[in-house]
Amino acid sequence: MSLNRYESQVREPLVEGSKDYHQITEDICRPVEATPSKLWWVGFIISVGLLIFGVVSIYMDVTYGIGQWNLNKTVGWGWDITNFVWWVGIGHAGTLISAILLLFRQGWRTGVNRAAEAMTIFAVMCAGQFPIWHMGRVWNAFFVAPYPNTRGPLWVNFNSPLLWDVFAISTYFTVSLLFWYCGLLPDLASLRDRAKLKWRKFFYGVASFGWTGSTKHWQRHEALSLVLAGLATPLVLSVHTIVSFDFATSVIPGWHTTIFPPYFVAGAVFSGFAMVQTLLLITRKVLNLEEYITMEHIDVMNKVIVLTGSIVGIAYLTELFIAWYSHVEYEWFAFRENRVNLNSPYGWAYYLMMGCNVLSPQIFWFRKMRRNLLVTFFMSILVNIGMWFERFVIIVTSIYRDYLPSSWSTYYTPTIWEIGFYMGTFGLFFTCYFLFSKFFPVIAMAEIKHILKRSGDSFKENMEKDENETLESFEHANAHH
Amino acid sequence: MSTSTTEKFIPAKRYNTIAVALMVIGVIAAISLFVTTGGEGNHDNRARFWASLLQNSVYFLLVVNAAMFFMCATTLAWGGWQIGFTRVTEAIASCVPVIGVIALAILLALCFGDHHTIYHWTDAEHVAHDPVLEHKSGFLSKGFFAIVTVLTVVLWSFLGWKMRQLSLKTDEGDIVSTLERKKKFVWNNTVMAALYIVVFALTVMSSIPWLWVMSIDAHWYSTMFSWYNFASTFVAGLSLIALYVVFLKNNGYLPSVNKEHLHDLGKFIFAFSIFWTYLWFAQFMLIWYANIPEETIYFKPRAEGIYSAIFWMMLIINFVAPLLIFMSKDSKRNYTIVTVVSVLVIFGHWLDYFQMVFPAVSPDKVPMILFDMGIGLGFIGIIMYVTGKTLSKYPLTARNHPFVKEAVIHHT
Repeated sequence: MSLNRYESQVREPLVEGSKDYHQITEDICRPVEATPSKLWWVGFIISVGLLIFGVVSIYMDVTYGIGQWNLNKTVGWGWDITNFVWWVGIGHAGTLISAILLLFRQGWRTGVNRAAEAMTIFAVMCAGQFPIWHMGRVWNAFFVAPYPNTRGPLWVNFNSPLLWDVFAISTYFTVSLLFWYCGLLPDLASLRDRAKLKWRKFFYGVASFGWTGSTKHWQRHEALSLVLAGLATPLVLSVHTIVSFDFATSVIPGWHTTIFPPYFVAGAVFSGFAMVQTLLLITRKVLNLEEYITMEHIDVMNKVIVLTGSIVGIAYLTELFIAWYSHVEYEWFAFRENRVNLNSPYGWAYYLMMGCNVLSPQIFWFRKMRRNLLVTFFMSILVNIGMWFERFVIIVTSIYRDYLPSSWSTYYTPTIWEIGFYMGTFGLFFTCYFLFSKFFPVIAMAEIKHILKRSGDSFKENMEKDENETLESFEHANAHH
Repeated sequence: MSTSTTEKFIPAKRYNTIAVALMVIGVIAAISLFVTTGGEGNHDNRARFWASLLQNSVYFLLVVNAAMFFMCATTLAWGGWQIGFTRVTEAIASCVPVIGVIALAILLALCFGDHHTIYHWTDAEHVAHDPVLEHKSGFLSKGFFAIVTVLTVVLWSFLGWKMRQLSLKTDEGDIVSTLERKKKFVWNNTVMAALYIVVFALTVMSSIPWLWVMSIDAHWYSTMFSWYNFASTFVAGLSLIALYVVFLKNNGYLPSVNKEHLHDLGKFIFAFSIFWTYLWFAQFMLIWYANIPEETIYFKPRAEGIYSAIFWMMLIINFVAPLLIFMSKDSKRNYTIVTVVSVLVIFGHWLDYFQMVFPAVSPDKVPMILFDMGIGLGFIGIIMYVTGKTLSKYPLTARNHPFVKEAVIHHT
């Protein structure tokens, strides 16, 4: 038995249903080649509807100005930045799965990476909308690009983390897109080769960049994947780190805390995985892909959720503790009165955040719960509600009471156009995802084939002999020195 | 080869001689430091002695405990490749109770002894005149400190012992003879590892560095501090594992472990060195940027004052060196280079602890670091001795572990 064809039988198979290579191609290409189902159309139309709501909201914002939003004299950042951070966070799971898990050689990533990467790209696109339209005079958006200009000594503020965000997110977006697309090439070529319609052949022909599957192509493909994984890994950390700097470099109580960077990254991975769960639970059901996105995949992702949720929990408690320990009265006030105090205007939001992000994921300590589809689905939604409130709590509860108590009475609630803008990004996100699931294979066929002979169920059953062999004879047959 | 997977480590005479010699050096360094810092009413000087013991015992305890963390984290992640050298990791983790007891004695002595120049908050009179410390006295109190410290060392030691017992049980082969039993074993192992991780989160990732190290600068605070301490000692712990793997390979042991495994250990050291730097930068930059006096006061003597040479040198050793040296694939597969980097990293993070402890204890002059190094060597001697002892007791390969064959064919 060759080297990469053994894995312990203790591990559950990652491909079920006794597949062979051909069957994998069939199963995964089927949704792309068939006409979309009624359910797909319903979902797609709802998404486009939401998207239109968003476009109208943005129209209102651009035409009449940011005054359409309910921002007030202390809450200069509200839903807009909350949504931005929320979407960027969601955009973390994809590249984590594709890059970091590739480096860690986690076989289970192959079942979920394609969809996760796609949703990363869409999430980052959604996130990008918020700072852009928040500019108000959006026609001057090019001002954020630092280039020698005719505006005299008018440069962007290089000291501002908001500008670092522009660089970090655009770099992240570029690398994620390249990574995703590079992985798609062999699969697009498969679709091209199977295409019976002319336009289809043309479309996938152009999209697959002339991939022939020669050894040379594969070699370059693998090398490129590794390089991109190496580049993407620090990027996964840097993006949310810099987003956290937006707050942590300031001297606002509740914002200035050194643990923000790693804790934001953990929170981002947390919410990203939750979104992957939400999408994949639906996708596997609708497209009949249960044999590729198995209970084992869901189980493992739930483990990531309980881990990252607990890391976030430790960070929340650390913040709270140090706020008290520091003996800085403003910091402690922000926590004690604006957050922990249930009777304060936003106290409920703090407890909602704690409940959704820290307490509820603890249920995933139990294997039964990790493997329960309904619980998983419910939890995945709950986590993203919690993570939205995390940003809301950080942002609004820190600034709605500033140092001037006479400004305190202003309670911030969003207007319909702020809500519409947010709903619009859902529209954008799901419209993109529906189109993606129609025109692209939602599972990386080539990569699934990679692990088939090691993790496919029928292959694993034949590993009995290796499993029971003594270590010595196994070593003798397989080890390389 | 057929017998080598059941082979045990037989420490060469030289190995034990070196271990004992290092311990002797440690004792001599400690005694001479004690003597030179003595003298009537010389409180500050005595603090310098105790600070050295504190720095070394806490650092090396956290480093050997990092081996325990590595073991539990990889167990929870169902890793396979590291099983090839899991007995090495276990042996290093078996130092936790020994160094734990030493650290415990030192920490409790500092807490209850009359050494207020290190932990100011133990001095009731001083606290009464310091509103900040008075405010903190619910947390920084002798009783709380002692209970948490004792509990921590006991829990780490107990869970480490349990994990090792579980691993040793596989040698008889009975509990992993069928697939069902293997699954059961992996399950039990996972539960134990999960328990440890929870304890780890509540100790190393939060309370312990606050109590043991951050409270030296009792007014200062940073939410990042504990995670930073974790990153620091985790890289050093990984390096210690790598050193032992290279050492055993060089002596003809560990037949199932090869350059592939070393390569992956090297990647871990590389990655977590960068991770440490990331946390270092995040903490430093945010404090520098906000420029709040209560916070910047910590970095004043370190980054700009008399400790600046150590401060920046440690950054070069812990970041620049592993980054550049371990960038290439070949260097991570080369025994000599891995050894050099590992030694550098262990020393570099030791320096990190030096600069965390001493600026508050000795603000006017950088103490003669050779004494501290001598005491550090003593701790290394203890680690060598205990690790060697444990390694010699049990087979070096966990030959019946359900994932051991994955380790054998591991290819990076």
